[in-house]
Amino acid sequence: MDTMSLLMQGFAVALTPESIMFAVIGAILGTLIGALPGLGPANGVAILIPLAFSLGLSPTSSLILLTSVYAGAMYGGRISSILLNIPGDEPAMMTCLDGYPMAVKGKAAEALAISAIASFIGSFIATIGLVILAPILAKFALKFGPSEYFALFALAFATLGGITGKNQFKTLMAAAIGLMIATVGIDISTGVQRFTYNTLELFEGIDFIIAIVGLFAISELLFFLERHAGDGLKQVAINKLKLSPKDIVKVLPASFRGAVLGFVAGVLPGAGASLGSFISYTLEKRTSDKGEFGKGDPRGVAAPEAGNNGAASGALVPMLTLGVPGSGTTAVLLAMLISLNISPGPMLFQQNADLVWGVIAAMFVGNLVLLLLNIPMVGIFVKLLSIPPKYLMPVVTLIASVGIYSVSHSALDLYFMVGFGVLGYIFRKVDIPLVPIILGMLLGPEMEKSLRHALVLSDGDWTVLFNSGLSIGLWTVAILGLVLPIIIGPIVRAKMKRSKDTVKDS
Amino acid sequence: MRINDRVFGMLMLILAVVYGWEATKFPIPFGGHESVGPETFPIMLSIILGVSAIYLMVRPDEDEPWAPVAMLIELGVVVISMLAFAWAIEPIGFMPAAALVVSFLSWRMGASIAKSLITGVTSSVVIFFLFNNVLELALPLGLLEF
Repeated sequence: MDTMSLLMQGFAVALTPESIMFAVIGAILGTLIGALPGLGPANGVAILIPLAFSLGLSPTSSLILLTSVYAGAMYGGRISSILLNIPGDEPAMMTCLDGYPMAVKGKAAEALAISAIASFIGSFIATIGLVILAPILAKFALKFGPSEYFALFALAFATLGGITGKNQFKTLMAAAIGLMIATVGIDISTGVQRFTYNTLELFEGIDFIIAIVGLFAISELLFFLERHAGDGLKQVAINKLKLSPKDIVKVLPASFRGAVLGFVAGVLPGAGASLGSFISYTLEKRTSDKGEFGKGDPRGVAAPEAGNNGAASGALVPMLTLGVPGSGTTAVLLAMLISLNISPGPMLFQQNADLVWGVIAAMFVGNLVLLLLNIPMVGIFVKLLSIPPKYLMPVVTLIASVGIYSVSHSALDLYFMVGFGVLGYIFRKVDIPLVPIILGMLLGPEMEKSLRHALVLSDGDWTVLFNSGLSIGLWTVAILGLVLPIIIGPIVRAKMKRSKDTVKDS
Repeated sequence: MRINDRVFGMLMLILAVVYGWEATKFPIPFGGHESVGPETFPIMLSIILGVSAIYLMVRPDEDEPWAPVAMLIELGVVVISMLAFAWAIEPIGFMPAAALVVSFLSWRMGASIAKSLITGVTSSVVIFFLFNNVLELALPLGLLEF
């Protein structure tokens, strides 16, 4: 098998001491980032990009580091869900439902261990899915011409709000703002200056890494200040672990189902990890006839945890093969790739096969590291979780600024970062989602390029955008993605809310 | 109240119009007109932004409450302190500037003065040495240079 031999080559890359070291560092940092409230995975990866960049790491090492951070953050999110009843990130919300009740009952250690195992199964199965599906999709995507790509980008924006999106026009608006920021600078194909107002610093455009760190990290700091949330929250004490093999076997089916569902939700545009963990949880609740869901059933911890980790790896499929990320964090990983001068997409699997398969193999390694790390060492992470944000957030902000500063040693970049932080604060106040803005900045140049290619080839005939079956299909999905949430969105959101409320009542 | 979205929609509409209008005034690129010039894509964007801005003004969402004025002023001060840090990093040096801004931030987030000073000084010194000696990224010494 071709894939097998490529994967073996990947393992040869991933098992060098250097790669293992980066995987371990990434796993530890990622778990921390995921565990600390207010420092979601997108945020954490964004802060680390400039650091990886200015350290001059090789593309393979940086990617291994950051994908391990990404995987680790998904593991870490569960710690605060279980101990504090506060999800570290959105997909970890469903883990609160049974995880926190378990912790209250004095079974915090069991809940953490079970969720670690479920996370491992989720990521592991989804990574296998990635190995099988990604090359197929990449091969298929080779058929895409410029007009199909243009439709694909439109699809990415249209489905970004997800099924649970609140206001589609705000998503659209955010995407437009991001794309507009991307047009600043010298136009690549004609050399015309656009929106630079003759400012030298704007000629090369606005660096999206600065924007990402500002929008995510700095605005988060401002929100923390506003909410007086500096003191942190009381967490449930952790007990001594008593887990028999029988308990593990009991949650295995739930984990497997969750993993598969999560993977599918991760691959599909517009679904994402939140939906993955939600579907896994509700299905588990329905299939298991008698159980104490919502009151601390271990299966209710395993299913959503496997689901959200599965979705996290699944989301890498469209990101790597098509260059179109489906979530905030994968968008940030895409930013990483672009700044390393690697263009994702079908060609990635041909031109940079070493890198892709090395990273995929590193995901297997990273997962194993995470499992080993998370069962015996969970106590250390729990201790770190109890550092109040009032000490932590300023230091994180400092590290973020140092990262930005060290890329080009210019104070101007830091002014821009703070500026984007203020913008991010305002956007969040008026409910404008930040991810489409980032995605717009990332995909803008490519999107414009494919539009131009398509129209130049057709001599300015706009119908070329809709003249193949494939592009019509993509446009249809895009339009559905934009319209369906308006109809289905309220129903799904109400359901998610209801299952959360029932837990609070009981 | 539904004022936020209306005001924001208005601002975005202005942005869309200005942006689109600017785009029509781009110089004609060398080599003459093509079917897709540098202005085509921006004009599409300004239409999308304009339409969604109008929708936002017509059908605004419920407001998220803004912080009271005192808090907004405080946030303003925090933003200024970060800008000051960015300015000070080269003339004054990384360590003093970082120690000051971190102490200030953690004090504003509710830590006692003594503890925030400890946080600020330790974190800036540790990060400085970590970056300069372990990771080998030079951060400016500033005043401490001799």
